[in-house]
Amino acid sequence: MTERTLTVDSRSHPSGATVLTVSGELDHHTAGQLRAAVEGAPYPPAGTVLDCTGLGYCDSTGITVLVTAYHRAQAAGSPLVLAGLSADLLRVFRIVGLDQIFSYRPTVDAALEALAP
Amino acid sequence: MHGTPYAPPRAPADEHGRLAAVHRYGILDTAPDGPFDRVASLAARLFDAPMATVSVVDADRVWFKAVHGLDGVRQVERLPGLCSSAIEQSEPYVVGDALTDPRCAGHPLVTGGPRVRFYAAAPITTPDGRRLGTVGVLDSRPRTASADQLAALGELAALVMDELEGRRAAADALAVERRMRTDAERLARTLQRTLLPPVLPAVSGLDAAAAYHTASLDEVGGDFYDLFPLHDGRWAFFLGDVCGKGADAAALTSLARYTLRAAAIHDPDPCAALATLDSVLKGEYQDGDPRYCTAVFGVLRPAADGSFDVVLAAGGHPPALALRADGAVRPVRTTGGQLIGLLPAPHFVRAALRLAPGEALLLYTDGLTEARTADGGMLGEEGLADHLGPLVPRDADALLAAVDTLLGGLGDGVSDDTALLALSVPARQAPLLPTSRTAPPAQENR
Repeated sequence: MTERTLTVDSRSHPSGATVLTVSGELDHHTAGQLRAAVEGAPYPPAGTVLDCTGLGYCDSTGITVLVTAYHRAQAAGSPLVLAGLSADLLRVFRIVGLDQIFSYRPTVDAALEALAP
Repeated sequence: MHGTPYAPPRAPADEHGRLAAVHRYGILDTAPDGPFDRVASLAARLFDAPMATVSVVDADRVWFKAVHGLDGVRQVERLPGLCSSAIEQSEPYVVGDALTDPRCAGHPLVTGGPRVRFYAAAPITTPDGRRLGTVGVLDSRPRTASADQLAALGELAALVMDELEGRRAAADALAVERRMRTDAERLARTLQRTLLPPVLPAVSGLDAAAAYHTASLDEVGGDFYDLFPLHDGRWAFFLGDVCGKGADAAALTSLARYTLRAAAIHDPDPCAALATLDSVLKGEYQDGDPRYCTAVFGVLRPAADGSFDVVLAAGGHPPALALRADGAVRPVRTTGGQLIGLLPAPHFVRAALRLAPGEALLLYTDGLTEARTADGGMLGEEGLADHLGPLVPRDADALLAAVDTLLGGLGDGVSDDTALLALSVPARQAPLLPTSRTAPPAQENR
């Protein structure tokens, strides 16, 4: 079994939105890292972008964490937009019906634009 | 002769126990590596001597873990005089001039090779007192060793022992962890298997077959299926996939399976059954660690003409495939049905179809459609449908055999477990309705 790695980076955009950048492989070995970041994110009123451009793989545990982010953002009243989902992940989202609850944009810039008042 | 105790000459006391210790540390015949090479080089520098060794005494040889200045020598015969004698005492062993020392005058390293004249060694001693080998210093000139030098040599031997202990502890910990992991996975796999029906019940007028393909030996998935009678002559079936792996997934699988069976008794409406499962999962995992599954739940009603009417609903699950008598393979669209147990008010999508004689329905988990093909892309439902299109006959067993071939061909591209449930209505026997057949099953259109 190869070692899977994941990095999560959180930064504040000048618009006030938070951008969480996830890179690597999101599975039950690495999901804890994103879970911690998702639990600790500020969810500002200006919105939250979850940048998945560098996300190569996402298994069922990973999906749980993405839905946790959705719940947290909803509870905090912070609009959440996913950015840069791969074609494979979009396809999985459609199959599991998550395309109905998530907003998504192809890039972080487009996501920030969607959040702009 | 009998009655005379056998005493091997020159073997240290309890040689058997000593050799067992040598093997326990697993050092023999390993590649040279840094810490031991540095110890040999430090020992040589300490004595300002041209040669030094870190050696281990095996049953019939002295094997060098590290050598300094003795290029190409990896082992020598276990002969008395040098290292083999040094491990017989707990104190450092010193030969000032080998040519005049009767203990080693005939040793091949003295009479040939480097023509050793001076030898000093400190034993590498285990915590329970076994002497595995030595850290030794050799010179081709006769000389003396100071008490300080011998004490330092003893320290280097202790350092070697510390390193060997550390490595053994690490290897032991790894072995224990591996064993525990293997045990846990075996247990989870056993548990997972007990959650699948060993055989499907016989349904009159219907062929049913199921299979479970395991992708990885060390990660147990949580796919499940079942087929069971309702009290009114109808049959219910389901197939699903829980999130996660291992024992947690097995527990969730168990919960999902029994919940769906109980829900079907209460209200076999497919959407209602999935909604019940959704509520149960939310109630069970409300501590901030949500768990979910995807599933298809359906009800089969036999029709008078031998067909079966199927009503099914899905939540978060890839579409079932209907293999039609005309050769088409069509997804039973349940797109929009959402994950079960994770979302506030999930939407489940219902579909209805009729399975006529000669037609089949395949339910599968995403281990199949998310498998990677040779070009790196996912197989997808289109790829699966393409593979099944030419299948004749369109019966449950042939369907599973075709998928088995497909999975076999994908090899390492399959990274997740796959459960399969195939239902087919046997083609009508020609003599029963000789005039009513409109067309033969059309394979010719391909």
